[in-house]
Amino acid sequence: MATQGALTLVTPVIPGRHDELDKKLMKIRAAHAAGEFKEFEKIDTLHYARFVLLEGKLSNAQTNLVFSSDYDGGEDEHLAMFAATCGELVDDLYSCCEGYPAVAVRSAASRKSYLKKWSSKEAAFYVGAPGRTLKQIKQECTLRNFIWEYLRTGTWHGKTAKEVHGIVRQHVQKHPEFGWAKEKIKIPVLKWWNFVLVILIAIPLLPVAIPVIAIWLLVLHFFHDKKDKVLGLTPSQLDQTFLENLEEYEDFQNQNQFTQIISMKPGWFRRVTIQAVLLYGKFRIYNEFVHGELMGIPTIHFARWVMLDNKKEVLFFSNFDGSWQQYLGDFIDKSGWGLTAIFSNTENFPASRYLFWGGAYDEEHFLAWSRYYQIPSHVWYCAYPHLSIKNVTTNSIIRSELMRDLNEEQAQTFLNRF
Amino acid sequence: MVSIELSDVQGFLVNEFQGMQYSRYVMLQVTDTAAAKNFIKSIAGNITNANSETAHTGLNIAFTSYGLAALGMKKSNTDTFIREFREGMVTPHRQRLLGDFDSSDPGGWQWGGPQNETVHLMLMVFGSDINTAENYHRQLSEQFSKGLKEVYHIDGQLLPGNKEHFGFRDGISQPFIKGSGQSGKESDNLNAGEFLMGYKSEYNVYPDTPFLAEAQGDTSLLRDDIAGSRCKDLGRNGSYMVLRQLQQDVKGYWTFINDKTKNADGTINEQESKRLSAKMMGRWPSGAPIVKWPDADPMDLHPNEDPAKYIDDNDFFYNDTDRHGMKCPFGAHTRRLNPRDSFEENTHKESILLANRHRIIRRARHYGEPVVGSPTGPAPDGEVGMLFACFNADISRQFEFIQYTWANYPKFKQLVNDPDPFIGVKETPVEGTQQVFTIPSHSVNKYVTGMQRFVHVKGGAYFFFPSLTTIKYLATL
Repeated sequence: MATQGALTLVTPVIPGRHDELDKKLMKIRAAHAAGEFKEFEKIDTLHYARFVLLEGKLSNAQTNLVFSSDYDGGEDEHLAMFAATCGELVDDLYSCCEGYPAVAVRSAASRKSYLKKWSSKEAAFYVGAPGRTLKQIKQECTLRNFIWEYLRTGTWHGKTAKEVHGIVRQHVQKHPEFGWAKEKIKIPVLKWWNFVLVILIAIPLLPVAIPVIAIWLLVLHFFHDKKDKVLGLTPSQLDQTFLENLEEYEDFQNQNQFTQIISMKPGWFRRVTIQAVLLYGKFRIYNEFVHGELMGIPTIHFARWVMLDNKKEVLFFSNFDGSWQQYLGDFIDKSGWGLTAIFSNTENFPASRYLFWGGAYDEEHFLAWSRYYQIPSHVWYCAYPHLSIKNVTTNSIIRSELMRDLNEEQAQTFLNRF
Repeated sequence: MVSIELSDVQGFLVNEFQGMQYSRYVMLQVTDTAAAKNFIKSIAGNITNANSETAHTGLNIAFTSYGLAALGMKKSNTDTFIREFREGMVTPHRQRLLGDFDSSDPGGWQWGGPQNETVHLMLMVFGSDINTAENYHRQLSEQFSKGLKEVYHIDGQLLPGNKEHFGFRDGISQPFIKGSGQSGKESDNLNAGEFLMGYKSEYNVYPDTPFLAEAQGDTSLLRDDIAGSRCKDLGRNGSYMVLRQLQQDVKGYWTFINDKTKNADGTINEQESKRLSAKMMGRWPSGAPIVKWPDADPMDLHPNEDPAKYIDDNDFFYNDTDRHGMKCPFGAHTRRLNPRDSFEENTHKESILLANRHRIIRRARHYGEPVVGSPTGPAPDGEVGMLFACFNADISRQFEFIQYTWANYPKFKQLVNDPDPFIGVKETPVEGTQQVFTIPSHSVNKYVTGMQRFVHVKGGAYFFFPSLTTIKYLATL
């Protein structure tokens, strides 16, 4: 099965070149909105991409250009493709960054090795439709629309669902452009055996682990939670211009993006805690959250957490369906504890208790905190703004059910998916 | 349970004023601050509260953020109101969220739009008959004319059978405020903080409430913020009111539905026409829920029975009886805007909990010729529509969420290209996208394509709907 990767490049901008770069990025944003910026579309393995300017947030105290992408295949391959396909764009932007190769020595290879230098590995990465390549997502969408049109315009009176399913399959098979649909695909499943394995390994460790975790949580609560500062703002107290700036780039299509950078609370204790929580998250993402839901949230295409600057900063990116209010509301309603476990280790988070309690459940303060640490993305690209993650997942199921023999009930379910 | 200080809450929030069939909403602008405040002071004692005895006339009052500023409220204090209210309904971002484009573009509104005169405050005048309402308005206008000028007024009424102009019984399902003395079925009783400031919400926290950041006016009238900020609270027992003037194209609507369901010879198939419109609404014109009456309106099936038992029937869920939408389509207006337990990935209880974080108290009045539409009925003369008002403590999480995520967003649940058939259809969709209404069926779903919009926004604003205490206070600014 193909895999998806998360590229995060954090590149220091040459002092004094910030404004120039900002202008260039905003020009790209405008061109992209007008449908005139086509660079990213040329990469047929690129699901999402964004450029963000991090101003003075990192310890190098200068502006950093962040590029992030969600792609198919390996990082090397992706970087090579990016450098080769978008050479002009890379030159234009990265020539404002430190150490970019001089004009004379610029080549696909030198661009690639330059970019690679700035890559940061993510601490956790969530893929809404694991294994689905961009090509597959597009193909399956076309197939779904093709069948939908056929179903809509056909006369099906008196036919059973099973009969209709058979006719649809024959019809698709008559069209060579859907030859690919015959290839079997693997739709990821819950890897329960890994849970069994972990439990088996954990049992003998419990006599040690339980007291350690208990003491850890007690220390966390009495020496950290109780002393930590909170932001204490409600949404109405946030800066108006700042919010307008964020909203200016929101809700144009059916999807949105979210970028946050938050400093860790000081000290090794918090650092170890967040890493343990992210590790735990990573395990569940890989083994359990494989059906298009992250901790019950059915609207996230991709999300990642990256620790920057010697693990002093947490960078969070996500691409999701619907509005900001829906997205953050879902987080509170469905996995407030998970969110609290991660972000209570970062500064000014609403007061939490014993890692999982409080925090995000303090709705008004949490929403204000989330916006407060959000930063605007300068350029955001999505290869399929017309598809929700639920659509992507359903389209794969349609494809796989189309080619299987179904009983009447299954065939009915299949037909009702359209 | 916390009990609500009903006599401090303006009445329209808790009561539909069924006894006062007629209403006149009068939009005003402050021309003389002192005189305007005097007027507010003079009527403060006459505001109908949630405990008032039934009467022939009623009066409520609401303020826009411009109005608060015009009365002299300092910026540091108006800044404590929620942002949606401060900015108003007409910002580029809000236009995208609410879907107010083309025929609903604020540029073409009759009031509340950028081209219109700014609305500062609104008197909501009610009367048991039209003359009573008019007389009350006249009497008030003599009092306010020194300090306020009228920029717009619009009359509304309740239509026979509590119908709206397309012909459906309206306002059947409402949430109830715990502690208000009114209640419905358990899942409809919500914490007061969803609708009133100064009480805890469904998240068990106090909603963001406006307060005095800087002292002004007679602060002795106000109490401290219950959430503990030690500031004087302006919000307690108050709410935010969304008002939208929604023009309804009754003729266009029924022509569209009739056309989609016509007989082979081109004649109107009245039964099928009603059935399709009921599928889109989620209830039959009588009000009966289609999830219980999937085949025909019980009003037509049993014309001689007392309809009381089904026209206001609100005692139903979806997941146990209609998980696949075979009776009530997922895209039906009432199933989208009040999903109950319709989120299939959650349990019944969780699903209701999620849905209940996005509820509003609706108060509709209808304007224009009081004609109720039907497949073959006459179309009204002139503009008709609904004066849609709703109450919520968090406009973003409640009204705007419902409008965007549940009505406009075409991917509600597992849908692909289905906006809300009544209030979500775009006139200029993204190129290449179809707008569809999907009716889950055996064996192949039915699809209504080429969806059109028959509800057009013609005005609107976000209002602060203060407590009686705060109304008195505002007169002392």
